[in-house]
Amino acid sequence: MSSVIDGFAVVLEPTNLLYCLVGVVIGMLIGVLPGLGPAATIAILLPVTFGLEPVTAVIMLAGIFYGAQYGGTITSVLLRLPGEASSVVTVFDGHALARQGRAGAALGIAAIGSFVGGTLSIIALTLVAPVVAGFALDFGPPEYTVLALLGIMLVSTISSGGRIRALTAAAIGLLLATVGRDDFTSAERFTFGNLSLADGIDFVPIAMGLFGLGEILYNLEERHRAVQAPTKVTNVWPSRADLRQSSGAIGRGSVIGFVLGILPGGGAVLSSLAAYALEKRRSKHPERFGQGAIEGVAAPETANNAAATSSFIPLLSLGIPANATMAVIFGALLIQGVTPGPQLVTEHPELFWGVVNSMYLGNVLLLIMSIPLLGVFVRILRVRAAVLAPITVLITLVGAYTVNNSVFDIGLVIGFGVLGYLMKKAGFDPGPMVLAFVLGSLLETSLRRSLLLFDGDLTGFLSRPISGVLAAAFLAVILLPLARTLLRRRHPDPAGSAVTEPGDPAVTAVASRPSASAEIVGSGAAADPFGPASPEAGDTGAAVAPGPSAATSGERQGPGTASAESPGTASAESSGEAAGEHAVRDKTATTSTEAAGRPHDEPGQSGAPVTQPVHRDRHTEEPE
Amino acid sequence: MKITLPALGLAGLLVLAGCGGNLGSDGDSGSTAAYPERAVTLLIGQDAGGSTDLIGRALADPASKDLGKPITVQNRPGANGAVAAKELAAAKPDGYTIMVFVGSLAYITPLAVPADQAVDVNNYEVVTGISQDDFVLVANPRTGFKTVQGIVAAKRPITFATTGVGTGSQLTQTLLFAQAGVQATAVPFNGGAPALTAVLGGQVDVAAVQLGEAKEQIEAGKAVPLVTFATQRPSYMPDIPTATEAGFNVPVQQSRAVVAPKGTPKEVVDRLRTAFQKGFADQAYKDFNAKRLLTANEVDGAALLQQWNGSLQTYRGLVAQHKIDLSAK
Repeated sequence: MSSVIDGFAVVLEPTNLLYCLVGVVIGMLIGVLPGLGPAATIAILLPVTFGLEPVTAVIMLAGIFYGAQYGGTITSVLLRLPGEASSVVTVFDGHALARQGRAGAALGIAAIGSFVGGTLSIIALTLVAPVVAGFALDFGPPEYTVLALLGIMLVSTISSGGRIRALTAAAIGLLLATVGRDDFTSAERFTFGNLSLADGIDFVPIAMGLFGLGEILYNLEERHRAVQAPTKVTNVWPSRADLRQSSGAIGRGSVIGFVLGILPGGGAVLSSLAAYALEKRRSKHPERFGQGAIEGVAAPETANNAAATSSFIPLLSLGIPANATMAVIFGALLIQGVTPGPQLVTEHPELFWGVVNSMYLGNVLLLIMSIPLLGVFVRILRVRAAVLAPITVLITLVGAYTVNNSVFDIGLVIGFGVLGYLMKKAGFDPGPMVLAFVLGSLLETSLRRSLLLFDGDLTGFLSRPISGVLAAAFLAVILLPLARTLLRRRHPDPAGSAVTEPGDPAVTAVASRPSASAEIVGSGAAADPFGPASPEAGDTGAAVAPGPSAATSGERQGPGTASAESPGTASAESSGEAAGEHAVRDKTATTSTEAAGRPHDEPGQSGAPVTQPVHRDRHTEEPE
Repeated sequence: MKITLPALGLAGLLVLAGCGGNLGSDGDSGSTAAYPERAVTLLIGQDAGGSTDLIGRALADPASKDLGKPITVQNRPGANGAVAAKELAAAKPDGYTIMVFVGSLAYITPLAVPADQAVDVNNYEVVTGISQDDFVLVANPRTGFKTVQGIVAAKRPITFATTGVGTGSQLTQTLLFAQAGVQATAVPFNGGAPALTAVLGGQVDVAAVQLGEAKEQIEAGKAVPLVTFATQRPSYMPDIPTATEAGFNVPVQQSRAVVAPKGTPKEVVDRLRTAFQKGFADQAYKDFNAKRLLTANEVDGAALLQQWNGSLQTYRGLVAQHKIDLSAK
């Protein structure tokens, strides 16, 4: 215990304080830049650390790493550019919130979630690091196989588009993951003899193209149809209602992030995915996810920060770098004459505890920095699209280039940008494609490694305790909703109860038409406080909905009611979607409908007097 | 007015992004000396942070002091360095673009990929050799293996982790088990750390990784060293027999060299070699080598080509003799 306190003394040395600050500032900056990741930044800055004490050097490098996790949120929310695979999930609701003028709330909650997740994770690290370190070793190829399968199944449930479309996009994502020289035989796959494709496609060009560039291209076309004012920015800081609504998500996200972050390889991505899926499943209004649910930002952002912190555990207690950034920090320690390994804690307690404790400070610094910085960043949205879009394209292309210093990657971004645009036009969500792409190579290599280890025997997965349990969980998650659907067929429920279940995987949608259409009813109802299927929202929403809001909700009520009147038919789905598309196309209508939709989207908000006038102001400002 | 602040911020970020890849820009170009007049770009065909990258950066720093112009490191990862090698081949042979070439690309990858994708180091001007990395075979303590003979005596099929297809890790183990008559299944991982993790977690029986990667785990007793594939016992591990001593013919090392495009003038190559030799003599660089358990191999171009060409020939012979196909499952 005394060494823990000595660690604080190390942190409080002025040099260490300074380098902690330098680290988190650099980290936040490169997090904002799409492309240049923490691993590359740390490698470039490595010579700077030669003259420093080992503990000072690692405090700074660690700061860059978790600072980048904070910064990564900003572009995901504002510009729909996820810089890291672990912030892809944040894009879904973060960008939706930004379009509603609530970017500040999204970024604020992400900063708070990141702080809480990071801090809880450090506390857990302090208490149990040596105990849980072995957990990382128990995860071999079979465990990763099942974990990746679970992850890909989650991908199909978290998408905001239709299930079939999500699965189609995910399948293409899996296919893209196979591009490159085969890891097991070095056979060329879909490389067309191009050396730049020999190592497969990088995550960055795919994400930048499908999300960022695709969005810009799509908006260009939209603007052509209707002149579009820059999004109004309100609520620069999350309201108390937002906080209340996100607190559970932040707590659960911290735990998921800490546990999955310990796993080398893919831990951070899986944790953000799992945290989001869990919130969507637990939510009484899962249909809000993808439309701007604040928990949909809080959960993954908390989880990926908690995971960033716990990914230090394998490095510091076992000497195993869990990801590329940890590998570079490993190298930095070696240069400093400290070899990370099982004896690090006993041989260099001041280093171990100094670094761990510096993370408390770093997280506080990041939170403090976030407050003024977010205000500045949010104002980016006030920039006219005609100015912002070209700058964003430039950042995207430069960012994609910096990853591998490859011009070919710029071409890839443009190619995927066009694909992203076409997907959006056709109603496909790029999310499942990007996530399936990330998990695809993990799934393929782990599965093939497992089969080599099992000598081709598939039952091997069930013979190992962790993979066996995970496989059972996987089957249960697939089969349970199926069974529930069958039961429901025998005893039909009112539509209202079905609203709580849409987290079910694709099987439900395929197997049972009524359930799929009930979901649409649900989302239609959520846009309408007086809708038949959401009495709990009606209670609070009706009480506060101001006059203008009632008028606009009437506008939206049309299609919503239409689908409610025709449950069980295929047309319900298409009419629901048409309503959505219509709302997006007509920009003015969208802003006002969303504003109107908000009080009942988040029933808790009725209790927050601060935010109430804001909606009203916005309505009076914007003519219908 | 409202636009300026964020727009400025964005512009600033752009500048930062542009600088990210190549810190240290050209100095004043008014110098009168013939070579170098400006910064030299050192291509690295591996990811930032990997062994090759760290070696390149550790060397670029002291060598640039002698050169008087910065040596800027640029990573062009892909296909074990083949992407960077291709770019180098197309670069102007003026000494302003050079590259850290890894030995495995020259003498192991050609055994695993089709002939048209193999890179021939003889098509480049070799400036200098850098250093060698030795491989060590480690086992999980629970296997009870302490020597290669122990594996043979166990009379059971084993699994071994490699750091990838076409790597020294794969070649060493495949040759060793073929010669020892052990039925062994290769499980490729992406790099040394995951391969070592698989041994520590008991998912595989053994793995061959680079000395520096396994040192700490060996000292902690979490991994048991069986044999090294060095030509003579490395000074860092004096107690562990080499494969030759154990009765096997597996002389495989990872090696690295600085190369320039074919046709680079001799005086430029010589100037670069002088600069790198000053870099090798630098104390910080020597410490770096010692900490990463690297063996200096600072030979000139002709000697290096002889080493590497010899290795390729030897491996081709061994692979044919034992009917090994590195690209098979």
